[in-house]
Amino acid sequence: MEIFIQLLLNGLLLGGTLAIISIGLTLIFGIVRVVNFAHGEFLMIGLYAVYLLNAHFGIHPYVAIIPATIFLFAAGAAMQRFIIQPLLSAEGHIQIFATVGVSIALMNGALLIFGADVLTVQNISFGTSTVGMGAFRVSSGQLITFAMSLVLVAGLHWFLQNTFVGRAVRATAQHRNAAQLMGVNVKKIYIFAFGLGCACLGVASGLIAPQYPVFPTVGTFFVLTAFVIVVLGGLGSLSGALVGSMLIGIVDSLAGYYIAPDLKEVVYFSIFLGILVFRPTGLFGAGRGSE
Amino acid sequence: MNIMHPRVYVSVLVLASLLVIPLTAGSPFIYHLFILICSYAALASAWNIVGGFAGQLSLGHAVFYGVGAYTTTLLMINLGISPWIGMFVGAILSSMVAVLISWPCFRLRGPFFALATIAVLEVVRLMAINQHDVTGGAAGLGVPLKLGVEWMLFRPRWPYLLIAFGFLIITLAVSWKIKNSRLGYYLIAVREREDAAHAVGVNSVKVKLIAVVLSAFLTSLVGSFHAMYLTFLEPGSMFSLEMSIQIAMFALIGGLGTVSGPLIGTLLVLPLAELARGWLGDMGSGVHGLVYGIVLVVVVLTIPQGVVGRFGARVFGWIDALPGGRRPLATGVKTVKSPAPERQSQTSGEPILVAENLHKFFGGLHATNDVSLSLAEGEIVGVIGPNGAGKTTVFNQLSGFLLPSKGQVKVRLPNGEWVTPSSPAEFAKAGIGRTFQIVQPFADLSVCENIMLGAFMHTADAREARAIAEQVAELTELTNLLDTRARNLTVGGMKRLEMARALATRPRILLLDEVMAGLNPTDVVKAIAVIRRVRDSGVSVLMIEHLMQATMSLSDRIIVISSGTLLMQGAPNDVINDPQVIEAYLGKEYSHA
Amino acid sequence: MNTKSWVKTACVILSVSTSIAAHADIKIGALYPLSGSLALLGDESFRGLEIAVAERNAAGGLKGEQIKLLKADAVDAGQAVGAARKLTSVENVTAVFGSYSSALSFAATQVTEMAGVPYFELGAVSDHITERNLKYVMRSNPTARNFAEGTITAITQIVGPSLKVDPKQLKIAIIHEDALYGTTIAGFQKQLAQAQGLNVVEVLPYSAKAVDLSSLILRLKGAQADVVLQTSYQNDTTLFFRQIREAGFKPKAVIGAGGGYSMQDTVKVVGAQNMESVLDVDFPQFQTSEKGAPGISAFAKAYKDRFGSEPRSGHSLINYVGAKIFLDAMEKSESLEADAIRASVASVDIPVGGTAAGMGVKFAENGQNQRASTAIMQWQDGVLKTVYPEAAAVTQVRFSDHP
Repeated sequence: MEIFIQLLLNGLLLGGTLAIISIGLTLIFGIVRVVNFAHGEFLMIGLYAVYLLNAHFGIHPYVAIIPATIFLFAAGAAMQRFIIQPLLSAEGHIQIFATVGVSIALMNGALLIFGADVLTVQNISFGTSTVGMGAFRVSSGQLITFAMSLVLVAGLHWFLQNTFVGRAVRATAQHRNAAQLMGVNVKKIYIFAFGLGCACLGVASGLIAPQYPVFPTVGTFFVLTAFVIVVLGGLGSLSGALVGSMLIGIVDSLAGYYIAPDLKEVVYFSIFLGILVFRPTGLFGAGRGSE
Repeated sequence: MNIMHPRVYVSVLVLASLLVIPLTAGSPFIYHLFILICSYAALASAWNIVGGFAGQLSLGHAVFYGVGAYTTTLLMINLGISPWIGMFVGAILSSMVAVLISWPCFRLRGPFFALATIAVLEVVRLMAINQHDVTGGAAGLGVPLKLGVEWMLFRPRWPYLLIAFGFLIITLAVSWKIKNSRLGYYLIAVREREDAAHAVGVNSVKVKLIAVVLSAFLTSLVGSFHAMYLTFLEPGSMFSLEMSIQIAMFALIGGLGTVSGPLIGTLLVLPLAELARGWLGDMGSGVHGLVYGIVLVVVVLTIPQGVVGRFGARVFGWIDALPGGRRPLATGVKTVKSPAPERQSQTSGEPILVAENLHKFFGGLHATNDVSLSLAEGEIVGVIGPNGAGKTTVFNQLSGFLLPSKGQVKVRLPNGEWVTPSSPAEFAKAGIGRTFQIVQPFADLSVCENIMLGAFMHTADAREARAIAEQVAELTELTNLLDTRARNLTVGGMKRLEMARALATRPRILLLDEVMAGLNPTDVVKAIAVIRRVRDSGVSVLMIEHLMQATMSLSDRIIVISSGTLLMQGAPNDVINDPQVIEAYLGKEYSHA
Repeated sequence: MNTKSWVKTACVILSVSTSIAAHADIKIGALYPLSGSLALLGDESFRGLEIAVAERNAAGGLKGEQIKLLKADAVDAGQAVGAARKLTSVENVTAVFGSYSSALSFAATQVTEMAGVPYFELGAVSDHITERNLKYVMRSNPTARNFAEGTITAITQIVGPSLKVDPKQLKIAIIHEDALYGTTIAGFQKQLAQAQGLNVVEVLPYSAKAVDLSSLILRLKGAQADVVLQTSYQNDTTLFFRQIREAGFKPKAVIGAGGGYSMQDTVKVVGAQNMESVLDVDFPQFQTSEKGAPGISAFAKAYKDRFGSEPRSGHSLINYVGAKIFLDAMEKSESLEADAIRASVASVDIPVGGTAAGMGVKFAENGQNQRASTAIMQWQDGVLKTVYPEAAAVTQVRFSDHP
């Protein structure tokens, strides 16, 4: 029984890490409706930024969240403005390939600039210890990440519900043309949304830097899982991304223990396929899911 | 096939050069490059059948490739079966896998279908690694190096080139055949507007499945060939996401849904990538990847419709200007004069469409409340009623787009038999043609092609379909618009196109849903004339209309529907003077006016 | 005409580059994964070859000609085939050196064999590479089987005696990344362990791209594993160490088989105190006694001078040693024809302890170096030190409580 609870705990905490990465994706996917294959590479950029700030200025990753977030917001906005926007009227497939191109360019650019070395932040004590909770152990860094994911979701939810920009964003997500008729500048909203989604990755990179080193291909470790979570939770649904992450984290943990570590992915990809076939709108989908 | 036409001989020349250049250059590296070009072009063309023609973006096509490769190799190792046979076994297996995967996933759109295919690919890859007793797992599988034709393993390079070239020709031939056949048109229709396709009798699931099976079969064959060429298999490179994305990319850059697109895309991008890796590899790790990624983004940004989409018209123009271009492309086109439909029918005046006690509930809303009506052969019946009365809902039940909660709809076939169809395609086959309230033309097809889609319901021959289309166009005054793209029509033209497409299915009953809405007075007059001509040609018409002038002048009988119930029916003058009807439309105050 | 002229241009460019390439220098191909997920160790391996070639050029070159090293990057088997084709037919190299990754080696050697060009494998470990009776494929480094043997020896000869425990009483868990590298070594480990009567309680493969190994660690905890044998790359190694600390799992001994266990980067990420006493079986690293590995300190110095840092792992050393062996053989050979080189390589005979990697050299019929062996090293105070065999050891094994 103890093991089971420890597994659940581990799963939830892993879910927190996955959530913070997936929130940005569900925003982008849900609002701009673009499958951004470069999502993992934006995370990589964030991680490199945090690493550089730490290596050259000794800044703690949690503090580096602020500059990283701003930087990634700008990067995301630029991506939308210069790469996705010109293609908005083209077929959906085309946008996907543009993001694939960006992904390849970023990965190799990082290889060129930083080399293939595995780099990590140094000299940080906060966020790397282990906390005992009775008979169970949790990593402080993961706990903080988990808490921050809840805070982030709550904050974004408040923003989307209660501010004008937030409402404009939701309107655009539901019906682009109608929103335009209401005076919403859809192009600007898309730029904002993409930037916002990437900014979440800025937060994510600061939070997970104490646990994960950075190297050019690190993005590929997370991106597919993030997509599974986003579809599972329902496009554009923040709470869906949160719940979906927890679920996938728990499945990962339990499947890894009770079945086999190398079959974990098979389990959650199978779940993913099941959701797509039987409930395409996802768990919390706003009814506008995969159809 | 007219060999003297420039399009034909130019294509032959281009294809031949794929063989001739490496054979003359002789260098193994050039061989390798061209073998790669031929194989990847074949893969991209095969992918295009699903991704381009059917519009389902599959990013997991490597599944079929890998299944082909592993099946062939395992049969060779364990049972000593020649890869020439093994590859067909692999292809059949791939086709079965394709059906299994695609059937449940077809209703997923765009990015979701793509993600589903990626998930399937990953699962298969992981299982291949896990089941290492069968597949050799991550340690990989080496193909036993038995040289000889029967083992598809050769010392010189040119046999490989020949085989790869052969596959390319086969896939191109299949693509070309599909594009010019009914299947091709059906695929485009389903891709553009599935609902409208259903209304012309297309079984979209069946059509897409055929496309997927063909694509999987061909992809698998190439996979088997590659296994023999690389002589080493491992799950990572056989079930590779990168490769799946790459072949889709070649098709896209060349031009989705065209026959030559995938080949052109491959010719453009593949040598670039290989050469870049060769030259730029020296400059530092990652330089060639960076350049490749940037070039990709630039290409996608500058020609999103693909090379063929962008330059196709111009290039075809140049080609056609070459000697021989003025002759017709296909010789021996017999102008098929299809027989005009029967004028006088024995059973004129007898019921041909009967709805009995229809009820339709949407949750708590009783949208259709005990509606019974019958349409007699040769009649024009007008259906009127206030907005929101449920007229279109009734129409939807009369054409299979909605199934009634209670009651039934019967249609009389020409042989006198009554049937109760239960899907749009079945209704269409039973002789019901309909238009939609919001016009649903296949925007990128020409007017002629739009109408042909309707005609395909009764013939599989493209030429016959074209003849029927021309006939129908005369009936609906669209003859001089036949080659215009549907998206460029005026509202009036689009409405007539809707009618034309429905008429091309040779319906015996035509359901018109507010066909006059938004037309100017001249167009209204035209439309009225067209509908009369349609009835005179032997089609019974049931039409929803708000325009009283048209309804009054056309209808033999009028049915009034209000709040989901049938308020009354009868001769036009009786109906419009009935106080109940006036109250329903205009309110109580006016019923005494 | 778009397509036709494209193809023509490409051919013209190719033939021009071919003619430029035909020059007096001796050309050698270097086929490694220099981009993609294996880039780090691929690059490190290449550095070893670079140093060896530079040394030979400084000493007068090969048969009086300077050597020109042509880099060829390949990320997967398909690219390896293309690269090998290009090297052998466009560049006409005299020999190809490579390749760190067994998958690449497999694919490329098929091509070079058909072309009759010698292929010198310096670092890939899959035994199959030299079990195909290919005439022109030769390998200097130890194989997966050697690695597995080393780890089992570590248990029976080091862990057992140091902890004063009968090795057969120890509960052994084998965990490995699920690609070719991990799978082949783990397969041999299992075989050998069972042959020696050792108690293997768990064999757990996992994806090298895993972001979480906590459930796997709980399995190990539950099985009460005393000794963990891991075969992993750099990322999963660091993940593993972080998460066993978080889970509070302290096996009596952890033994790695190269990969991430040999890298300086790893100890930087994990922390020296967390890798204290961890054993590693690999090509010898530079902290090896000069007695058992003559030339090793010279190599370390050459590396530092050229690249400005310590070697990142032992791959550079093993590639260096192998390249030196083959280059020396080529120098001694009658001519630079493939058959002459093959004969010269067959005649090389260096006793164990005679090279900078501590191994000996004697090639069997199938091209595999029979005297290739691994060394057993231990992390002490953040430095990887050779502790076995005796001749190469720089220090004693020491086990202390993990923090």
